[in-house]
Amino acid sequence: MTRHHPDSLTLMEYSAGNLTEPHALCIRLHLDKCPHCQSRVDTLDSLGAVMMENQPKADVSESMFDSILARIDSDSDENEVMARVSVKTSPLQKLLGDDLNSLPWKRQLGDVSVLDISERFPGQHEQVVLQKLAAGGKAPIHTHKGEETTIVLQGAFADQKGVFNQWDFVVLNEQDEHKPVAVGCEDCITLSVLSAPVKLTGTFTRLLNPFIR
Amino acid sequence: MTTLDQKPARLEGRKDPWSQLLEKVGKHQDRQAYHALFEHFGPQIKYYAMANGMASHAEELVQEVFVSIWRRSCLYDWRKAAASTWIFTIARNQRIDMLRKMKRLSVEMPVETEDLWQIPGENEDEPVTSLHRLMSERRIRESLSHLPEEQITVIAKVYMENKSHQMVADELNIPLGTVKSRVRLALNKLKVILQDQNV
Repeated sequence: MTRHHPDSLTLMEYSAGNLTEPHALCIRLHLDKCPHCQSRVDTLDSLGAVMMENQPKADVSESMFDSILARIDSDSDENEVMARVSVKTSPLQKLLGDDLNSLPWKRQLGDVSVLDISERFPGQHEQVVLQKLAAGGKAPIHTHKGEETTIVLQGAFADQKGVFNQWDFVVLNEQDEHKPVAVGCEDCITLSVLSAPVKLTGTFTRLLNPFIR
Repeated sequence: MTTLDQKPARLEGRKDPWSQLLEKVGKHQDRQAYHALFEHFGPQIKYYAMANGMASHAEELVQEVFVSIWRRSCLYDWRKAAASTWIFTIARNQRIDMLRKMKRLSVEMPVETEDLWQIPGENEDEPVTSLHRLMSERRIRESLSHLPEEQITVIAKVYMENKSHQMVADELNIPLGTVKSRVRLALNKLKVILQDQNV
């Protein structure tokens, strides 16, 4: 179980570029708001650089350099890079637009609404789901199958282990039984990534944590 | 933070030669400096591609990385990352990008690689200087030389061969827990874990 911040091993897999896109998104959203974890990633990126430096080298030819020069000489999109960097929108905004509350939410049980956005990540086998717990609302007590990585996008929720605020990072598994409550005056919205493909049992569609399963 | 991080900038904040060269490329489109970077980092990146299973695209990756270095060099800020760290993150992202392009048939992803994996210094919200970052590489190089081989092997597989901890465990035929504890011990020495405890 990981709560509030990603652990170093996960950050290392992120820095090495080994995480899937949905998992990398959860880490990235957290890093944008957590200078402490960002500085750990900076250290890990430097570890990557030193590892690369310590490995054997493979010969490169001068003719390769010539073709690189030919590419940059014919380059017309230099300005494009600059433009793109200067008008950077957050990945969340790119993915979901400006208003999380106005997404086409599907009401599930009671206070819980969900929206499956897995198809926004083509070629991935993980399920990526947004969940909304209405302000002051409660989710039924539940546990988790497999591992679920969650980041709080809006509002906050609380369970017996603590309060999870916006941009907090949570990993839960089968040992984590909890009964989350949305705290504060906003609806609590989270983004969750399921490590394993979803199994449907009987006529029940499995609901997702951290609120409900 | 450790005492090392509190050393004054004038002692530790010197630019290394590669960062100076990269700055010349960024400021003056200096092709001689660019060539020197190619001679130093090109062979590293090519080996990186070969190690992580992209042998047939190794030269293509080197080219993509260097074109990207040229295009972005105007954004490079030595105060935010040493050249080698900056170049590593570009190589990592170009590798991810190439794999994405190979996998994808025609569907476009709304989120690009750079939205998920950032190149240091390209986020305006970042504090201008972090002494800690300037320190990192030197400290890591130094600490790595004292790590046992078994820890280095595991880290190399994660970074160079892009294997998950589980894949490393399967390959070395050791339990996942052993892989994780080797990584933790190493990160502890490298002060990444120490930073965990401050959370």
